[in-house]
Amino acid sequence: MLLVSVLSLGFCGLCAPRGDTSRTGRVTMGNASQPSDDNRHAAQRALLAAMARGERNALAGLYDQLAGPLYSLAFRMLGDNGEAQDLVQDIFLQVWRSAATYESGRGSVFSWMATLTRNRAIDRIRMRKRRGELLGNAAPELQPSALGGEEDSAGSLWLREKSAAVRSALAELAPDQRQAIELAYFSGLTQQEIAAKLSEPLGTIKARIRRGLLRLKDRLPARL
Amino acid sequence: MITERQEELATLHALGLLEDAEQRALAGELAGNAELAALITLLDDTAVQLTLAAPTVVPPAGLKNRILEACTEPGRSAAAAPAEAPVVGFPLWRIAPWAMAAALMIAATWLASHNLSLQSENDALRTERKLAEIAYQAAQAQLKERSLLAEGMINDLGHQLHEQQDLTRLKVTALASLAGNTPEAQAIAVWDPSRETGLLTVDKLPAVRENQDYQLWVVDPAYPNPVDGGVFKPGADGHVVLTFKGNKPIKSVAAFAISLEKKGGVPKAEGPIVLLGKVPPI
Repeated sequence: MLLVSVLSLGFCGLCAPRGDTSRTGRVTMGNASQPSDDNRHAAQRALLAAMARGERNALAGLYDQLAGPLYSLAFRMLGDNGEAQDLVQDIFLQVWRSAATYESGRGSVFSWMATLTRNRAIDRIRMRKRRGELLGNAAPELQPSALGGEEDSAGSLWLREKSAAVRSALAELAPDQRQAIELAYFSGLTQQEIAAKLSEPLGTIKARIRRGLLRLKDRLPARL
Repeated sequence: MITERQEELATLHALGLLEDAEQRALAGELAGNAELAALITLLDDTAVQLTLAAPTVVPPAGLKNRILEACTEPGRSAAAAPAEAPVVGFPLWRIAPWAMAAALMIAATWLASHNLSLQSENDALRTERKLAEIAYQAAQAQLKERSLLAEGMINDLGHQLHEQQDLTRLKVTALASLAGNTPEAQAIAVWDPSRETGLLTVDKLPAVRENQDYQLWVVDPAYPNPVDGGVFKPGADGHVVLTFKGNKPIKSVAAFAISLEKKGGVPKAEGPIVLLGKVPPI
Protein backbone atom coordinates (compact mmCIF):
# COMPACT_ATOMS: atom_id res chain seq x y z
CA MET A 1 0.00 0.00 0.00
CA LEU A 2 2.96 2.21 0.58
CA LEU A 3 3.62 1.71 -3.10
CA VAL A 4 0.12 2.88 -3.85
CA SER A 5 0.65 5.90 -1.65
CA VAL A 6 3.89 6.74 -3.34
CA LEU A 7 2.41 6.24 -6.75
CA SER A 8 -0.64 8.28 -5.92
CA LEU A 9 1.43 11.16 -4.67
CA GLY A 10 4.57 10.74 -6.64
CA PHE A 11 3.36 9.48 -9.95
CA CYS A 12 1.85 12.81 -10.70
CA GLY A 13 5.26 14.26 -10.44
CA LEU A 14 5.37 13.17 -14.06
CA CYS A 15 2.16 15.00 -14.75
CA ALA A 16 1.45 18.59 -15.44
CA PRO A 17 1.73 20.94 -12.46
CA ARG A 18 -1.53 21.33 -10.60
CA GLY A 19 -1.41 25.03 -10.92
CA ASP A 20 -1.72 24.69 -14.67
CA THR A 21 -4.55 26.91 -15.82
CA SER A 22 -4.69 25.51 -19.32
CA ARG A 23 -7.29 22.87 -18.46
CA THR A 24 -10.19 22.81 -20.83
CA GLY A 25 -13.47 21.02 -21.17
CA ARG A 26 -14.39 21.29 -17.52
CA VAL A 27 -17.42 22.82 -15.94
CA THR A 28 -16.46 24.97 -12.97
CA MET A 29 -18.63 25.84 -10.03
CA GLY A 30 -18.69 29.45 -10.97
CA ASN A 31 -16.11 32.14 -11.07
CA ALA A 32 -17.32 33.64 -7.83
CA SER A 33 -16.07 30.65 -5.85
CA GLN A 34 -12.63 30.59 -7.44
CA PRO A 35 -10.98 33.36 -5.41
CA SER A 36 -12.43 31.85 -2.29
CA ASP A 37 -10.93 28.47 -3.13
CA ASP A 38 -7.56 30.01 -3.84
CA ASN A 39 -7.61 31.92 -0.55
CA ARG A 40 -8.53 28.77 1.27
CA HIS A 41 -5.72 26.83 -0.33
CA ALA A 42 -3.27 29.59 0.50
CA ALA A 43 -4.47 29.65 4.10
CA GLN A 44 -4.04 25.89 4.42
CA ARG A 45 -0.54 26.08 2.97
CA ALA A 46 0.26 28.79 5.48
CA LEU A 47 -0.99 26.57 8.28
CA LEU A 48 1.29 23.79 7.09
CA ALA A 49 4.23 26.15 6.99
CA ALA A 50 3.47 27.21 10.55
CA MET A 51 3.22 23.56 11.59
CA ALA A 52 6.63 22.99 10.07
CA ARG A 53 7.88 25.64 12.46
CA GLY A 54 6.33 23.75 15.36
CA GLU A 55 3.25 25.92 15.91
CA ARG A 56 0.57 23.76 17.46
CA ASN A 57 -2.09 26.39 16.95
CA ALA A 58 -1.65 25.88 13.22
CA LEU A 59 -2.32 22.19 13.66
CA ALA A 60 -5.49 23.03 15.58
CA GLY A 61 -6.54 25.35 12.75
CA LEU A 62 -5.93 22.73 10.09
CA TYR A 63 -7.82 20.20 12.18
CA ASP A 64 -10.81 22.53 12.35
CA GLN A 65 -10.84 22.83 8.59
CA LEU A 66 -10.16 19.28 7.46
CA ALA A 67 -10.89 16.85 10.26
CA GLY A 68 -14.56 16.67 9.30
CA PRO A 69 -14.21 15.40 5.73
CA LEU A 70 -11.20 13.25 6.58
CA TYR A 71 -12.99 11.64 9.50
CA SER A 72 -16.09 11.12 7.33
CA LEU A 73 -13.94 9.44 4.68
CA ALA A 74 -12.25 7.23 7.24
CA PHE A 75 -15.55 6.30 8.83
CA ARG A 76 -17.13 5.62 5.43
CA MET A 77 -14.30 3.30 4.48
CA LEU A 78 -13.71 1.56 7.79
CA GLY A 79 -17.22 1.60 9.21
CA ASP A 80 -15.85 1.85 12.71
CA ASN A 81 -15.62 4.89 14.98
CA GLY A 82 -12.56 3.76 16.87
CA GLU A 83 -10.60 2.87 13.78
CA ALA A 84 -11.62 6.08 12.05
CA GLN A 85 -10.40 8.10 15.05
CA ASP A 86 -7.09 6.26 15.15
CA LEU A 87 -6.63 6.75 11.46
CA VAL A 88 -7.35 10.48 11.51
CA GLN A 89 -5.05 10.92 14.46
CA ASP A 90 -2.30 9.09 12.60
CA ILE A 91 -2.78 11.29 9.56
CA PHE A 92 -2.62 14.56 11.50
CA LEU A 93 0.45 13.35 13.40
CA GLN A 94 2.11 12.36 10.14
CA VAL A 95 1.32 15.74 8.63
CA TRP A 96 2.60 17.45 11.79
CA ARG A 97 5.90 15.65 11.49
CA SER A 98 6.27 15.99 7.72
CA ALA A 99 4.71 19.39 7.16
CA ALA A 100 7.98 20.70 5.84
CA THR A 101 7.96 18.14 3.03
CA TYR A 102 4.67 19.31 1.54
CA GLU A 103 4.98 20.59 -2.01
CA SER A 104 2.18 22.84 -3.12
CA GLY A 105 2.82 22.00 -6.78
CA ARG A 106 1.48 18.51 -6.21
CA GLY A 107 -2.01 19.45 -5.13
CA SER A 108 -3.93 21.10 -2.38
CA VAL A 109 -3.39 20.31 1.28
CA PHE A 110 -6.80 18.70 1.33
CA SER A 111 -5.95 16.47 -1.65
CA TRP A 112 -2.71 15.45 0.01
CA MET A 113 -4.33 14.58 3.31
CA ALA A 114 -7.34 12.92 1.70
CA THR A 115 -5.03 10.72 -0.36
CA LEU A 116 -3.04 9.83 2.74
CA THR A 117 -6.23 9.02 4.63
CA ARG A 118 -7.66 6.87 1.87
CA ASN A 119 -4.44 4.97 1.31
CA ARG A 120 -4.04 4.32 5.01
CA ALA A 121 -7.66 3.21 5.26
CA ILE A 122 -7.12 0.80 2.39
CA ASP A 123 -4.09 -0.55 4.23
CA ARG A 124 -6.26 -1.20 7.27
CA ILE A 125 -9.02 -2.76 5.21
CA ARG A 126 -6.62 -5.14 3.53
CA MET A 127 -5.00 -6.06 6.81
CA ARG A 128 -8.28 -7.01 8.32
CA LYS A 129 -9.04 -10.64 8.51
CA ARG A 130 -12.71 -9.91 8.63
CA ARG A 131 -12.92 -8.46 5.16
CA GLY A 132 -16.21 -10.14 4.44
CA GLU A 133 -17.73 -8.62 7.52
CA LEU A 134 -16.45 -5.24 6.53
CA LEU A 135 -17.87 -5.49 3.03
CA GLY A 136 -21.25 -6.22 4.50
CA ASN A 137 -20.95 -2.98 6.43
CA ALA A 138 -19.34 -0.98 3.63
CA ALA A 139 -22.14 1.57 3.86
CA PRO A 140 -22.75 1.74 7.59
CA GLU A 141 -25.74 3.40 9.08
CA LEU A 142 -24.67 6.75 10.36
CA GLN A 143 -24.94 7.17 14.06
CA PRO A 144 -27.48 9.88 14.85
CA SER A 145 -25.25 11.42 17.49
CA ALA A 146 -22.47 11.81 14.97
CA LEU A 147 -24.57 13.47 12.31
CA GLY A 148 -24.95 17.19 11.84
CA GLY A 149 -23.92 19.50 14.60
CA GLU A 150 -21.48 21.36 12.41
CA GLU A 151 -21.00 24.95 13.22
CA ASP A 152 -22.05 27.23 10.43
CA SER A 153 -18.59 28.60 10.04
CA ALA A 154 -17.32 29.73 6.66
CA GLY A 155 -15.28 26.53 6.49
CA SER A 156 -18.18 24.24 7.09
CA LEU A 157 -20.35 26.09 4.60
CA TRP A 158 -17.62 25.76 2.02
CA LEU A 159 -17.38 22.06 2.73
CA ARG A 160 -21.13 21.65 2.52
CA GLU A 161 -21.23 23.32 -0.86
CA LYS A 162 -18.40 21.20 -2.16
CA SER A 163 -19.88 18.02 -0.75
CA ALA A 164 -23.26 18.82 -2.26
CA ALA A 165 -21.63 19.41 -5.64
CA VAL A 166 -19.75 16.10 -5.54
CA ARG A 167 -22.81 14.17 -4.40
CA SER A 168 -24.92 15.82 -7.06
CA ALA A 169 -22.41 14.98 -9.78
CA LEU A 170 -22.18 11.43 -8.49
CA ALA A 171 -25.96 11.12 -8.48
CA GLU A 172 -26.09 12.07 -12.13
CA LEU A 173 -24.05 9.05 -13.12
CA ALA A 174 -25.69 5.85 -14.27
CA PRO A 175 -26.29 3.71 -11.19
CA ASP A 176 -23.93 0.98 -12.34
CA GLN A 177 -21.13 3.51 -12.93
CA ARG A 178 -21.75 5.15 -9.57
CA GLN A 179 -21.73 1.80 -7.81
CA ALA A 180 -18.45 0.75 -9.41
CA ILE A 181 -16.76 4.06 -8.60
CA GLU A 182 -17.98 4.12 -5.01
CA LEU A 183 -16.78 0.57 -4.48
CA ALA A 184 -13.42 1.45 -6.01
CA TYR A 185 -12.94 4.58 -3.93
CA PHE A 186 -14.41 3.64 -0.58
CA SER A 187 -14.08 -0.11 -0.24
CA GLY A 188 -10.43 -0.68 -1.05
CA LEU A 189 -11.37 -3.53 -3.39
CA THR A 190 -9.24 -4.49 -6.36
CA GLN A 191 -10.59 -4.55 -9.91
CA GLN A 192 -11.17 -8.29 -9.73
CA GLU A 193 -12.85 -8.04 -6.37
CA ILE A 194 -15.20 -5.36 -7.62
CA ALA A 195 -16.03 -7.50 -10.67
CA ALA A 196 -16.67 -10.49 -8.43
CA LYS A 197 -18.77 -8.50 -6.01
CA LEU A 198 -20.93 -7.11 -8.79
CA SER A 199 -20.90 -10.40 -10.73
CA GLU A 200 -19.78 -8.63 -13.88
CA PRO A 201 -16.87 -9.25 -16.26
CA LEU A 202 -13.71 -7.32 -15.44
CA GLY A 203 -13.86 -5.46 -18.76
CA THR A 204 -17.35 -4.22 -17.96
CA ILE A 205 -16.20 -2.88 -14.61
CA LYS A 206 -13.25 -1.08 -16.16
CA ALA A 207 -15.50 0.48 -18.77
CA ARG A 208 -18.00 1.64 -16.14
CA ILE A 209 -15.25 3.20 -14.07
CA ARG A 210 -13.75 4.89 -17.12
CA ARG A 211 -17.01 6.39 -18.32
CA GLY A 212 -18.13 7.36 -14.84
CA LEU A 213 -14.94 9.05 -13.75
CA LEU A 214 -14.55 10.91 -17.05
CA ARG A 215 -18.06 12.21 -16.64
CA LEU A 216 -17.37 13.25 -13.07
CA LYS A 217 -14.28 15.06 -14.27
CA ASP A 218 -16.43 17.10 -16.60
CA ARG A 219 -18.96 17.85 -13.89
CA LEU A 220 -16.67 18.81 -11.04
CA PRO A 221 -14.38 21.81 -10.61
CA ALA A 222 -10.79 21.34 -11.62
CA ARG A 223 -9.43 21.51 -8.13
CA LEU A 224 -10.87 21.22 -4.70
CA MET B 1 -5.16 12.16 -29.06
CA ILE B 2 -5.91 9.99 -26.08
CA THR B 3 -7.11 6.47 -26.71
CA GLU B 4 -9.76 4.65 -24.76
CA ARG B 5 -7.11 2.36 -23.36
CA GLN B 6 -5.14 5.34 -22.07
CA GLU B 7 -8.30 6.79 -20.56
CA GLU B 8 -8.97 3.48 -18.88
CA LEU B 9 -5.47 3.30 -17.42
CA ALA B 10 -5.73 6.91 -16.25
CA THR B 11 -9.06 6.35 -14.49
CA LEU B 12 -7.84 3.16 -12.84
CA HIS B 13 -4.75 5.03 -11.71
CA ALA B 14 -6.83 7.80 -10.20
CA LEU B 15 -8.73 5.27 -8.11
CA GLY B 16 -5.60 3.34 -7.17
CA LEU B 17 -6.76 0.24 -9.03
CA LEU B 18 -3.86 -0.27 -11.40
CA GLU B 19 -2.18 -3.64 -11.31
CA ASP B 20 1.55 -3.99 -11.83
CA ALA B 21 1.37 -4.67 -15.56
CA GLU B 22 -1.04 -1.79 -16.06
CA GLN B 23 1.20 0.46 -14.00
CA ARG B 24 4.07 -0.30 -16.35
CA ALA B 25 1.84 0.13 -19.37
CA LEU B 26 0.71 3.54 -18.19
CA ALA B 27 4.28 4.63 -17.52
CA GLY B 28 5.11 3.63 -21.08
CA GLU B 29 2.13 5.51 -22.50
CA LEU B 30 3.06 8.59 -20.50
CA ALA B 31 6.46 9.01 -22.09
CA GLY B 32 6.29 12.26 -24.00
CA ASN B 33 2.51 12.40 -23.84
CA ALA B 34 1.68 15.68 -22.15
CA GLU B 35 -2.00 15.37 -22.95
CA LEU B 36 -2.22 12.09 -21.10
CA ALA B 37 -0.25 13.51 -18.17
CA ALA B 38 -2.73 16.39 -17.93
CA LEU B 39 -5.65 13.99 -18.03
CA ILE B 40 -4.13 11.96 -15.21
CA THR B 41 -3.78 15.09 -13.13
CA LEU B 42 -7.41 16.03 -13.69
CA LEU B 43 -8.66 12.55 -12.94
CA ASP B 44 -6.58 12.37 -9.77
CA ASP B 45 -8.16 15.65 -8.63
CA THR B 46 -11.59 14.33 -9.51
CA ALA B 47 -11.04 11.12 -7.59
CA VAL B 48 -9.90 12.99 -4.48
CA GLN B 49 -13.11 14.99 -4.54
CA LEU B 50 -15.03 11.75 -4.05
CA THR B 51 -13.89 12.09 -0.45
CA LEU B 52 -16.64 14.64 -0.04
CA ALA B 53 -19.25 12.14 -1.19
CA ALA B 54 -18.86 10.28 2.07
CA PRO B 55 -21.77 10.96 4.43
CA THR B 56 -20.82 13.72 6.83
CA VAL B 57 -19.84 12.46 10.25
CA VAL B 58 -18.62 14.82 12.95
CA PRO B 59 -15.41 13.67 14.62
CA PRO B 60 -15.72 12.90 18.34
CA ALA B 61 -15.16 15.87 20.58
CA GLY B 62 -12.05 14.51 22.25
CA LEU B 63 -10.18 13.68 19.07
CA LYS B 64 -8.78 17.14 18.53
CA ASN B 65 -7.28 17.36 22.02
CA ARG B 66 -5.89 13.87 21.69
CA ILE B 67 -4.11 14.82 18.50
CA LEU B 68 -2.80 18.08 19.93
CA GLU B 69 -1.52 16.32 23.02
CA ALA B 70 0.22 13.72 20.90
CA CYS B 71 2.06 16.44 18.98
CA THR B 72 4.57 17.12 21.70
CA GLU B 73 7.51 17.30 19.39
CA PRO B 74 7.77 20.28 17.11
CA GLY B 75 7.26 19.69 13.43
CA ARG B 76 10.22 19.44 11.19
CA SER B 77 11.02 22.69 9.47
CA ALA B 78 13.59 24.05 7.18
CA ALA B 79 14.51 26.62 9.82
CA ALA B 80 15.01 23.91 12.40
CA ALA B 81 17.36 21.97 10.18
CA PRO B 82 20.86 21.74 11.63
CA ALA B 83 23.24 24.37 10.37
CA GLU B 84 25.84 23.24 7.90
CA ALA B 85 29.19 22.49 9.46
CA PRO B 86 32.03 24.85 8.54
CA VAL B 87 34.25 23.50 5.80
CA VAL B 88 37.84 23.12 6.91
CA GLY B 89 40.51 22.70 4.28
CA PHE B 90 42.57 19.52 4.53
CA PRO B 91 45.26 18.53 2.00
CA LEU B 92 44.54 15.15 0.46
CA TRP B 93 48.17 13.95 0.56
CA ARG B 94 48.13 14.08 4.32
CA ILE B 95 45.48 11.43 4.63
CA ALA B 96 46.76 9.19 1.81
CA PRO B 97 48.95 6.95 4.04
CA TRP B 98 46.18 6.65 6.58
CA ALA B 99 43.71 5.84 3.83
CA MET B 100 45.99 3.11 2.47
CA ALA B 101 46.49 1.66 5.93
CA ALA B 102 42.79 1.72 6.55
CA ALA B 103 42.16 0.06 3.19
CA LEU B 104 44.69 -2.68 3.99
CA MET B 105 43.16 -3.18 7.40
CA ILE B 106 39.70 -3.43 5.91
CA ALA B 107 40.91 -5.86 3.24
CA ALA B 108 42.68 -8.02 5.83
CA THR B 109 39.63 -8.00 8.05
CA TRP B 110 37.43 -8.90 5.14
CA LEU B 111 39.71 -11.77 4.08
CA ALA B 112 39.88 -13.11 7.62
CA SER B 113 36.16 -12.83 7.95
CA HIS B 114 35.65 -14.48 4.58
CA ASN B 115 38.03 -17.30 5.52
CA LEU B 116 36.21 -17.89 8.77
CA SER B 117 32.97 -17.82 6.92
CA LEU B 118 34.22 -20.42 4.42
CA GLN B 119 35.54 -22.63 7.21
CA SER B 120 32.28 -22.38 8.99
CA GLU B 121 30.46 -23.18 5.78
CA ASN B 122 32.77 -26.17 5.20
CA ASP B 123 32.15 -27.48 8.72
CA ALA B 124 28.47 -27.04 8.23
CA LEU B 125 28.62 -28.96 4.95
CA ARG B 126 30.60 -31.79 6.56
CA THR B 127 28.16 -32.01 9.42
CA GLU B 128 25.34 -31.97 6.94
CA ARG B 129 26.98 -34.80 4.98
CA LYS B 130 27.49 -36.87 8.12
CA LEU B 131 23.92 -36.38 9.10
CA ALA B 132 22.84 -37.38 5.61
CA GLU B 133 24.97 -40.56 5.81
CA ILE B 134 23.50 -41.44 9.19
CA ALA B 135 20.04 -40.84 7.85
CA TYR B 136 20.86 -43.03 4.83
CA GLN B 137 22.15 -45.87 7.00
CA ALA B 138 19.17 -45.62 9.28
CA ALA B 139 16.89 -45.70 6.27
CA GLN B 140 18.72 -48.75 4.90
CA ALA B 141 18.46 -50.58 8.23
CA GLN B 142 14.84 -49.73 8.44
CA LEU B 143 14.30 -50.93 4.91
CA LYS B 144 16.10 -54.20 5.63
CA GLU B 145 14.09 -54.72 8.78
CA ARG B 146 10.90 -54.07 6.92
CA SER B 147 12.02 -56.38 4.14
CA LEU B 148 12.62 -59.21 6.62
CA LEU B 149 9.33 -58.54 8.26
CA ALA B 150 7.59 -58.59 4.92
CA GLU B 151 9.36 -61.80 3.97
CA GLY B 152 8.25 -63.43 7.22
CA MET B 153 4.73 -62.28 6.66
CA ILE B 154 4.76 -63.68 3.14
CA ASN B 155 6.08 -67.02 4.41
CA ASP B 156 3.43 -67.14 7.10
CA LEU B 157 0.79 -66.40 4.55
CA GLY B 158 2.22 -69.15 2.33
CA HIS B 159 2.11 -71.61 5.18
CA GLN B 160 -1.39 -70.66 6.03
CA LEU B 161 -2.43 -70.99 2.43
CA HIS B 162 -0.65 -74.30 2.16
CA GLU B 163 -2.30 -75.56 5.29
CA GLN B 164 -5.65 -74.44 4.01
CA GLN B 165 -4.96 -76.25 0.77
CA ASP B 166 -3.90 -79.32 2.77
CA LEU B 167 -7.07 -79.17 4.76
CA THR B 168 -9.12 -79.11 1.59
CA ARG B 169 -7.26 -82.17 0.41
CA LEU B 170 -7.82 -84.17 3.58
CA LYS B 171 -10.54 -86.81 3.58
CA VAL B 172 -12.45 -87.16 6.81
CA THR B 173 -14.68 -90.05 7.53
CA ALA B 174 -16.75 -91.10 10.55
CA LEU B 175 -16.83 -94.85 11.11
CA ALA B 176 -20.04 -96.44 12.38
CA SER B 177 -20.84 -99.76 13.93
CA LEU B 178 -21.80 -102.09 11.15
CA ALA B 179 -23.44 -104.95 12.93
CA GLY B 180 -24.35 -103.33 16.19
CA ASN B 181 -21.59 -105.14 17.95
CA THR B 182 -19.96 -101.86 19.06
CA PRO B 183 -22.91 -99.45 19.24
CA GLU B 184 -21.24 -96.90 21.46
CA ALA B 185 -17.94 -96.79 19.65
CA GLN B 186 -17.06 -93.58 17.84
CA ALA B 187 -14.25 -93.43 15.31
CA ILE B 188 -13.01 -90.77 12.91
CA ALA B 189 -10.40 -91.39 10.24
CA VAL B 190 -8.56 -88.52 8.51
CA TRP B 191 -6.63 -89.40 5.36
CA ASP B 192 -4.02 -87.23 3.63
CA PRO B 193 -3.84 -88.49 0.04
CA SER B 194 -0.65 -86.58 -0.76
CA ARG B 195 1.27 -88.22 2.06
CA GLU B 196 -0.74 -91.48 2.04
CA THR B 197 -1.00 -91.37 5.79
CA GLY B 198 -3.96 -91.14 8.10
CA LEU B 199 -4.98 -90.39 11.66
CA LEU B 200 -7.49 -92.55 13.47
CA THR B 201 -9.27 -91.48 16.64
CA VAL B 202 -11.48 -94.00 18.39
CA ASP B 203 -13.52 -93.72 21.60
CA LYS B 204 -15.47 -96.25 23.61
CA LEU B 205 -14.20 -99.17 21.62
CA PRO B 206 -14.73 -102.41 23.63
CA ALA B 207 -11.65 -104.06 24.97
CA VAL B 208 -10.44 -107.21 23.30
CA ARG B 209 -8.93 -110.36 24.63
CA GLU B 210 -5.22 -110.76 24.96
CA ASN B 211 -4.99 -112.89 21.86
CA GLN B 212 -6.98 -110.48 19.75
CA ASP B 213 -6.32 -107.11 18.05
CA TYR B 214 -8.37 -104.63 16.14
CA GLN B 215 -7.11 -104.25 12.56
CA LEU B 216 -7.63 -101.17 10.37
CA TRP B 217 -8.33 -101.60 6.66
CA VAL B 218 -8.09 -99.03 3.89
CA VAL B 219 -10.42 -99.82 1.02
CA ASP B 220 -8.81 -98.83 -2.27
CA PRO B 221 -10.76 -99.73 -5.44
CA ALA B 222 -7.44 -100.35 -7.11
CA TYR B 223 -6.98 -103.53 -5.10
CA PRO B 224 -9.31 -106.51 -4.87
CA ASN B 225 -8.92 -106.71 -1.11
CA PRO B 226 -8.73 -103.94 1.54
CA VAL B 227 -5.22 -102.84 2.29
CA ASP B 228 -3.86 -103.50 5.77
CA GLY B 229 -3.57 -100.30 7.82
CA GLY B 230 -2.11 -101.89 10.98
CA VAL B 231 -3.34 -103.33 14.24
CA PHE B 232 -4.09 -101.68 17.57
CA LYS B 233 -5.51 -102.29 20.98
CA PRO B 234 -7.59 -99.68 22.77
CA GLY B 235 -6.85 -98.66 26.32
CA ALA B 236 -9.05 -99.36 29.28
CA ASP B 237 -11.24 -96.38 28.39
CA GLY B 238 -11.62 -97.56 24.82
CA HIS B 239 -9.66 -94.59 23.52
CA VAL B 240 -7.09 -94.86 20.74
CA VAL B 241 -5.26 -92.27 18.64
CA LEU B 242 -2.92 -93.58 16.03
CA THR B 243 -1.41 -92.64 12.74
CA PHE B 244 -1.57 -95.26 10.07
CA LYS B 245 -0.31 -96.04 6.63
CA GLY B 246 -1.32 -98.74 4.18
CA ASN B 247 1.12 -101.57 3.59
CA LYS B 248 0.61 -100.89 -0.13
CA PRO B 249 0.56 -97.65 -2.04
CA ILE B 250 -2.90 -96.10 -1.80
CA LYS B 251 -4.20 -94.31 -4.88
CA SER B 252 -7.63 -93.47 -3.63
CA VAL B 253 -9.62 -94.24 -0.52
CA ALA B 254 -13.22 -95.42 -0.75
CA ALA B 255 -13.72 -96.47 2.87
CA PHE B 256 -12.13 -97.37 6.16
CA ALA B 257 -12.99 -100.45 8.19
CA ILE B 258 -11.96 -101.90 11.52
CA SER B 259 -12.23 -105.64 12.13
CA LEU B 260 -11.53 -107.81 15.11
CA GLU B 261 -8.69 -110.18 14.27
CA LYS B 262 -6.28 -112.47 15.97
CA LYS B 263 -3.32 -110.89 17.64
CA GLY B 264 -0.84 -109.42 15.21
CA GLY B 265 -3.36 -109.09 12.44
CA VAL B 266 -3.97 -110.97 9.24
CA PRO B 267 -3.10 -110.21 5.57
CA LYS B 268 -6.72 -110.43 4.58
CA ALA B 269 -9.70 -109.57 6.79
CA GLU B 270 -11.14 -112.65 8.44
CA GLY B 271 -12.84 -111.52 11.62
CA PRO B 272 -15.99 -109.49 12.09
CA ILE B 273 -16.09 -105.87 10.88
CA VAL B 274 -16.89 -103.73 13.90
CA LEU B 275 -16.71 -100.24 12.37
CA LEU B 276 -17.04 -99.03 8.81
CA GLY B 277 -17.03 -95.61 7.20
CA LYS B 278 -17.26 -94.63 3.55
CA VAL B 279 -15.23 -91.70 2.28
CA PRO B 280 -17.53 -89.22 0.55
CA PRO B 281 -16.53 -88.37 -3.01
CA ILE B 282 -15.36 -84.75 -3.47
